[in-house]
Amino acid sequence: MAALSVELNPGWPSPLPPVGDLLHVRAVGDNDTLHFLFCSLGAPTLLLVHTNSSSSTLEVDWTQFLTRKVSGSLRVEPESSILQSNAIVFSRLLEYDDVNNTANPTSDFFPPYDLRDFTWARLNLSGASALLCGAAATFANGSLCLKLTVFDSEGRDQILPRLLHSANSSQVEVWLDGVLPQATRSRFLLELQAVGGAYPLSRVEVQRSIDDEFTPSIFKVLQWLPPLNRTYGGSGFLQWKPVSYRQFSPVVEDGTPAQHSPPRPQSCAEESSGLIRAFYAEPETFGLNVSFGLAGEPFYNSTRFFSWTVLLGVGLPPMDSFSPAVLIMMAVGLGTPMILLLLGGVCVCIRKRASASSYEPIN
Amino acid sequence: MADYEERQSLLGDEDKGRQAAEAAGGPGRPLPAICDPGHLLHRIVVLVFMCFLGFGSYFCYDNPAALQTQVIQDLDLNTAKFMQLYAWYSWPNVVLCFFGGFLLDRVFGIRLGTIIFSLFVCVGQVIFATGALVNRFWLMEVGRFVFGIGGESLAVAQNTYAVNWFKGKELNLVFGLQLSMARIGSTVNMNIMGWVYSKVAALVGTPGHTALGASLMIAGVTCLFSLTCALVLGFLDKRAEKILNKEQGKTGEVIKLTDVKDFPFTLWLIFFICVGYYVAIFPFIGLGQVFFIEKFNFSPAEARAVNSIVYIISAPASPVLGFMVDRTGKNVIWVMVAVITTLAAHMMLAFTFWNPWIAMSLLGVSYSLLACALWPMVAFVVPEHQLGTAYGFMQSIQNLGLALIAMAAGAILDTRGYLFLEVFFCVCICVALIAVVMLYFVDYLKGGDLNMSAADRAKLLKESTSDAE
Repeated sequence: MAALSVELNPGWPSPLPPVGDLLHVRAVGDNDTLHFLFCSLGAPTLLLVHTNSSSSTLEVDWTQFLTRKVSGSLRVEPESSILQSNAIVFSRLLEYDDVNNTANPTSDFFPPYDLRDFTWARLNLSGASALLCGAAATFANGSLCLKLTVFDSEGRDQILPRLLHSANSSQVEVWLDGVLPQATRSRFLLELQAVGGAYPLSRVEVQRSIDDEFTPSIFKVLQWLPPLNRTYGGSGFLQWKPVSYRQFSPVVEDGTPAQHSPPRPQSCAEESSGLIRAFYAEPETFGLNVSFGLAGEPFYNSTRFFSWTVLLGVGLPPMDSFSPAVLIMMAVGLGTPMILLLLGGVCVCIRKRASASSYEPIN
Repeated sequence: MADYEERQSLLGDEDKGRQAAEAAGGPGRPLPAICDPGHLLHRIVVLVFMCFLGFGSYFCYDNPAALQTQVIQDLDLNTAKFMQLYAWYSWPNVVLCFFGGFLLDRVFGIRLGTIIFSLFVCVGQVIFATGALVNRFWLMEVGRFVFGIGGESLAVAQNTYAVNWFKGKELNLVFGLQLSMARIGSTVNMNIMGWVYSKVAALVGTPGHTALGASLMIAGVTCLFSLTCALVLGFLDKRAEKILNKEQGKTGEVIKLTDVKDFPFTLWLIFFICVGYYVAIFPFIGLGQVFFIEKFNFSPAEARAVNSIVYIISAPASPVLGFMVDRTGKNVIWVMVAVITTLAAHMMLAFTFWNPWIAMSLLGVSYSLLACALWPMVAFVVPEHQLGTAYGFMQSIQNLGLALIAMAAGAILDTRGYLFLEVFFCVCICVALIAVVMLYFVDYLKGGDLNMSAADRAKLLKESTSDAE
């Protein structure tokens, strides 16, 4: 459990800064604090700073921060309490014309959409979640939205993919709604950048799971983790399931695979994100693309919608386990015949004994 | 069992048959073995006709599946409408084959009943094909309905015939052979109908509803063939009855509909096993293909192959397993082995990433074993004059279970996923397992002969025969 406190644009005097919003969610545990920072200055960025003190604070030098040129304009104090920091930058949206319906994005790319050039609306807060929507100039009525939710306890969403989350993680749901594609056979990719200080997230691990109870027909969990020798209980992670949905309130049939490319070192995260520039002096960045759709499945144009959900957190990534219903059904199902077999066996034994002893007087 | 001699099998044992044959044919002129109803050779001839009796209906039942794309294209349907062709077959049979079985026992008798049901199958297929020919979908549905009236009840008749001729002899083997015939029928259909359609389309000039109707008419030839088998079987059965003076053994008892509530407890247990078991097999195979793709990363072709291995295995395995059950007896133990193996296979699929070929092959073997060992048991717990009704009832509630569980399975899959679905199937199997365990003890305490070894069974038969003489 953690106590959450939400603050929009901490330290900014007047109602709203001219461009971009900075959301600060502080999750205070018994002896540590998680600072979740979500910023729309440039490309949307989520930064998670883990400190070992329950009294660490955030300092923002707003004049420098808004110039997007100076590192150190946003600090978590005291600096010595920082255990670890990780960020995810939603940097670009790519569109390609899948002429042959192979869902293999290698060529026929349209010019990419840079998310830092989008026009972002103000952050829309409700409780511990925030909605950020933006659009490129050519989007007409469509928009790209990101919904951040920070949690104070373990649980899962009601809507698919129903990822399990812990108090140490936050969830971002991304969706592209109502955008006019540049070709009828267009499919999309999302470029993600994982930025870290000492231990950048550099490899994606595929975990197979027999448990698809919460995300029907998905048997894999993907985790973007630090290098093997740097993985420990307190390191950061990104976690998602390889599925996206073609409807806003999806059912299982709306699911379509979300495939990812291997992560590669990149160098330009601080260019696109104001938050990265302000917090990191020498950020290490790895990027990958998540592509949506499968050969033969409907194109973006069919519903003009896709959504995809990812967790950013620290500690051990949450893992699904069997629900009580499954355990009870198996226990009752297997137990009853066993008990019956036992009872029946005893019954038969007793009868045999009884009939054997009733013969004895005759002897 | 007290009423054993009353319902002793149609033929008695071989010596008795020979004597009777001699009596009929005059002294000193024994019939050649192949014509002697008491002889194994003659029974084999009967068996051949018995197996092909169901061939037509099994072949034509899956015609829509074999021609799915063609049917949908030629008649301009969607998948849901297409599935109605199966619904019109299955739903009425939730009640119809119960009445079919009852009519067999009470009104028509086995011989006439079989011929009538075969006729229904033929007429139904012709209506179905005509509907395609004139491009009237409702007529096709009517055809499937009529076809269904005949089809399932014909299976009941087939079971009853098998018991009449083979009880106390090779009954388990015969049930195994009938299962494998059913599998062969639908496999041949799956592989040949597409080819037939393309040939007909080339002949007609264009693919379309005419070509479809003509191909279905050609498929209907198998139904005619089965009707011929029904006629021949009727003749042979009548002849055997005359030669063996079978009428003597009849007690004149007739079944009343109310007898159903007096069915022995063991029969209800057998029904439970049947429903609990089959609902975990057929709906699973229906949904299996996507499961193998998603969970085990199979290609669609591979997934289709592993999904169909159950049926492919059952064709050769069931006669072999039937023979084995005949040799050893102990039907209840074999059923228990089959149920436990199936449970293990389902648990493997649910809780491990082991190669599904293992689990599906196990499923195929246990499915065949169950069919050989379970269905013949009915003949040991109900008197002969109720046999048709009992088999009809069993088929009916199996259909009901399948229809309901198939819908439930789809809903579970959409909301809770494959793991939960598999767990649900495991629970169904566990219900069957509970019923088997109870059956074992009830039979044991009643001193019944369900679980007798083959040797004991032969001894019992001999005693009762000598008592009768």
